[in-house]
Amino acid sequence: MSSSLSALLSATFYERGDDHLVELIHQRDTAAHRRLHSLDVAVYDPAGKLLATPPVDPGREVLDLGALVEEIPGVPDRVMVAFDTRYDERIFPYRPHQYAYLHRRGSTAPALYYAVNAVLGGVPDRIGVTTMNNFETYLFRRAPFAERYSVLLGCLSRFAAVEAQVYAHYGRERTSREVRLEPRTHLEVEVPAEHGGERLDRVELKALFRLAAYVVGRRAATGELVLFDHLFTYFK
Amino acid sequence: MASPLRAFVRRVLGVVRTPTYYLPWLTRPGITCTLILHNVEARFQPGSNVGPFSVTAIQHDADGTMVRRYQTELTDSTSTVELALDPTRDGCGFVTVAGERMISDFFVTLSDGHDYTATHGRGEFVEHYPARARVVVRVLGSLLALVGRTIPAFARDQYLYASADSRSHLLLMNLSNVPNRIRVTVGGDGTALGATLLTLPPMGSRLLDTTRLAARSGQGTVVRRAHLEGNAWFNLYLVGAGPRDLAGPLSLMHVK
Repeated sequence: MSSSLSALLSATFYERGDDHLVELIHQRDTAAHRRLHSLDVAVYDPAGKLLATPPVDPGREVLDLGALVEEIPGVPDRVMVAFDTRYDERIFPYRPHQYAYLHRRGSTAPALYYAVNAVLGGVPDRIGVTTMNNFETYLFRRAPFAERYSVLLGCLSRFAAVEAQVYAHYGRERTSREVRLEPRTHLEVEVPAEHGGERLDRVELKALFRLAAYVVGRRAATGELVLFDHLFTYFK
Repeated sequence: MASPLRAFVRRVLGVVRTPTYYLPWLTRPGITCTLILHNVEARFQPGSNVGPFSVTAIQHDADGTMVRRYQTELTDSTSTVELALDPTRDGCGFVTVAGERMISDFFVTLSDGHDYTATHGRGEFVEHYPARARVVVRVLGSLLALVGRTIPAFARDQYLYASADSRSHLLLMNLSNVPNRIRVTVGGDGTALGATLLTLPPMGSRLLDTTRLAARSGQGTVVRRAHLEGNAWFNLYLVGAGPRDLAGPLSLMHVK
């Protein structure tokens, strides 16, 4: 491998029934910049079992996760999809991460567009975050919307389990939940919208190592996604 | 336009860049837009984490005029203020937010009253062209507009999506004090499908229904490439829509 290449390991979650398209590169005018050097895609079930490593042409610009995942026999309702990428740094001139388009087929909810979590940049001076990025937060509106909230967590470490704490703040009250993720596992941590008569203000995630993490809002009645967003680090 | 050339032209014209934090806003019948202002990311930053924090937000309408100036205060680094923005006839634009020792990303939310979607703003800049430079840009821009072109000072690329029950549109924001002619071309699989030249007033915005440029064809979710060129600094947010398109619930999302 050339030493001029940069690396990006990112991850998202695919749920059955979604239109979910990941932009593997940043769109550019020059065709020469629209090709990754290499791309390994891996699909994991919640227990960390490797379900598939489907071959994907690194020259592809946009990847349809639905077409990719729903072909896997016995695939569960939600899987973690990891993208292990080597690329020419001109493809991601700023902070390297991919974007994705997401919509549940048949849902009346609007389509969402989001930044895919860059879990490990591979090359520290290229990931744009040189301070601690495993202590993060996210704020919520306080009105009583018909939504339920959660944090989706995925562990991309190879050998070590990751311990994490999810704090939820309700006015002056705070609840916490500790979770332990074995390598390649993932789980959804529910965050109640109310506690002790107070609405959810914000959530915090503290982890030993960087996790793939998304704040999730779902329509209470149907589970359709209306929020799928990254958290914000305390240490920019 | 290449970066060094752009920087040179900027110097010659005397363009000043003012650091500015901004968020897009959008209102429609039945859709409200609310900001979440806070400074929680300063919680562990000595020198920045002691309140109160005074915050000013200026809401610009699609025509660039100020809709309203909001003044509020955060008592400490963990307090939040929800700021409901005024709806207008055009129903889109951007809000600039400023405050001393504010180092947090603010949220913008869209709600139909049942649920809400959210994204965050951008800390960038607004370009101020002196009077002489504004004349140059206007004259050159007017000439190029006769043939459907613009001064390609800045360019952006963005994938667009359309399926039977969802699609993405563009909210374009002119972050400068000159009229910004933005040429948008949409293509797919190596073919040009449509193009338009929009003129955004200073500090103005435009919600672009992308399906008017390229109708969806085929099965599944169709991906198109949009290329945008403008004569001054601009940015865009994606507007996500469901089966009711722009008449239904919507989402906003920042781009790279």
